[in-house]
Amino acid sequence: MYRARLERDFKHWMDKGLLQENAARAMLAEYDGRESTFRAGRVLLILAAFLLSASILLLVAANWEALPRLARVAGIVALVWGFHFAAAWLTQTGRTTLAAAALVLGVAAFGGGIALIGQMYHLSGDAADAALLWFAGAVLSALAFRSAAMTAVAGGLAWFYFGTVLQDNGFGATPDWRVWSVPALAVIVVLLVRFTAADRARHLAYLLVLSWLAWLYLDNASLAFAGGLAAFGLVAFLAATLPGSPLRALAVDAGSAPAFYSFALALLGFTALQFEAVGVTTEVATGAGTLLVALLGIALAGAQNGAVRYLGYVAFAGELLYLAFETLGSMLGTSGFFLISGLVVAGIAWLVIRIEGHLANARGTEAPR
Amino acid sequence: MTTAKTRWLNPLLAALLVAGVQTAALGYMIESRASILRSGRDVLLKTVPVDPRDLLRGDYVILSYDISRLRPELFKGDTPKQSEEAKVYVRLERQLDGFWAATEASFAPLSPAGDSVVLRSLPFTYYPSSALSSVNVEYGIERFYVPEGEGRTLEEARNAEALSVNIRVDAKGKAQIREIAVNGSPVYEEPLY
Repeated sequence: MYRARLERDFKHWMDKGLLQENAARAMLAEYDGRESTFRAGRVLLILAAFLLSASILLLVAANWEALPRLARVAGIVALVWGFHFAAAWLTQTGRTTLAAAALVLGVAAFGGGIALIGQMYHLSGDAADAALLWFAGAVLSALAFRSAAMTAVAGGLAWFYFGTVLQDNGFGATPDWRVWSVPALAVIVVLLVRFTAADRARHLAYLLVLSWLAWLYLDNASLAFAGGLAAFGLVAFLAATLPGSPLRALAVDAGSAPAFYSFALALLGFTALQFEAVGVTTEVATGAGTLLVALLGIALAGAQNGAVRYLGYVAFAGELLYLAFETLGSMLGTSGFFLISGLVVAGIAWLVIRIEGHLANARGTEAPR
Repeated sequence: MTTAKTRWLNPLLAALLVAGVQTAALGYMIESRASILRSGRDVLLKTVPVDPRDLLRGDYVILSYDISRLRPELFKGDTPKQSEEAKVYVRLERQLDGFWAATEASFAPLSPAGDSVVLRSLPFTYYPSSALSSVNVEYGIERFYVPEGEGRTLEEARNAEALSVNIRVDAKGKAQIREIAVNGSPVYEEPLY
């Protein structure tokens, strides 16, 4: 964890006499006082809320026959009201973590209610519609309570919705509005992230859009689509990272996400292009393109952005291995397979060490103190 | 971006809003079914055996009807020229044996006529094919949840073609299950709530 690393580094610097002890203590105190700081108790509480919500859902699934229907409905509605008013009371008394846990339980009770009613009244509608309703309930709760925890839950439910869409319809048979509802949900989650300051939950939305694009490609695999993904990703990445680009300041301000996700999109596009390529020449050409993009990513954004750098390494290594097996692998057999892997990995290791060393040097000269 | 966020709604109001809207959504699910049962018209349907691979899906019995598969000659009017999301309207008429059968089907709404009942299918993706082929549709009455262990009896009756299902259909063509009978004697009667 960052907190432990910070403390270790402070100790190291104090031993070297670079940092005063009281300054270090003040910095740690400031860090601990931050709103979003990791606390074991907080995380355990939310985990407990998830476990309890799972038990609500299981209770429903276990076809609870002993009570008459309306009593069961009344029970689940009472849970919905109870958890939300508990959350309100906890918020007012300043216990925000417990309040977040109560909200998670509240929306779980709502989801349980949807499932329960569907089952008791033999409603054989779409599972995706039910998931959408559940998502809407979570969004409303996140908005009304301005809750970051509920934004994360909404992000998770958006994924759940995507999963049920895939399961319900499979490839090809999904109606248009359903296909476009997935990125719409991602946009809603991003807006919620802004509203509730749930910074980390935005990755759920970004990853959802990436997976959705990958699914769209698999659904209508075509050269144009693959090329479009690659081109769009590349342009977005260049706009976010190229020195002199008007959008660069904006992207840097938003953290590492814009560069990383546009880079990931470009690589997704090039992977799709690789998928489209037929024959050795085009395979090698797209392979070379992928390698270039990976290197470009490392060169442009690697220094400030660890995530881009590591994705770049992985893409570079994966592409090189793939190319080696496609072009040479069949000629050399199994032992050759390992020989090439060994050589390629060694080569990449050398390259990575060079780049990391270079970056470390550059940082050293940037801050001469 | 971790600026202090200000509350914009009193927490009690927020709780009232969220719990109220969620309760309303659940209530709507229940009431939209109850209203069909309350005011819909009775239709008796014959079930057909289901592919054994799909036999047991969790804790509900899958019901399939003779009107789930619509023969091409039933269709009147235009059929979609390209694959799209579509609904099918089916005219049901009472036969001499008391069961209702499909007498007409269309991709456009059918107007009620005489003693017939118009049933609307759930939306599905329609793929036009050059040869005339049957269209498989669902009406939202294909699932019946039963207490654990009771599903087997219903499935055996269904596959022996001894199962009949009484549904109610509202003016919009939506249907809900009212009663399930084996060999004519009711086994499950559905109360409104």
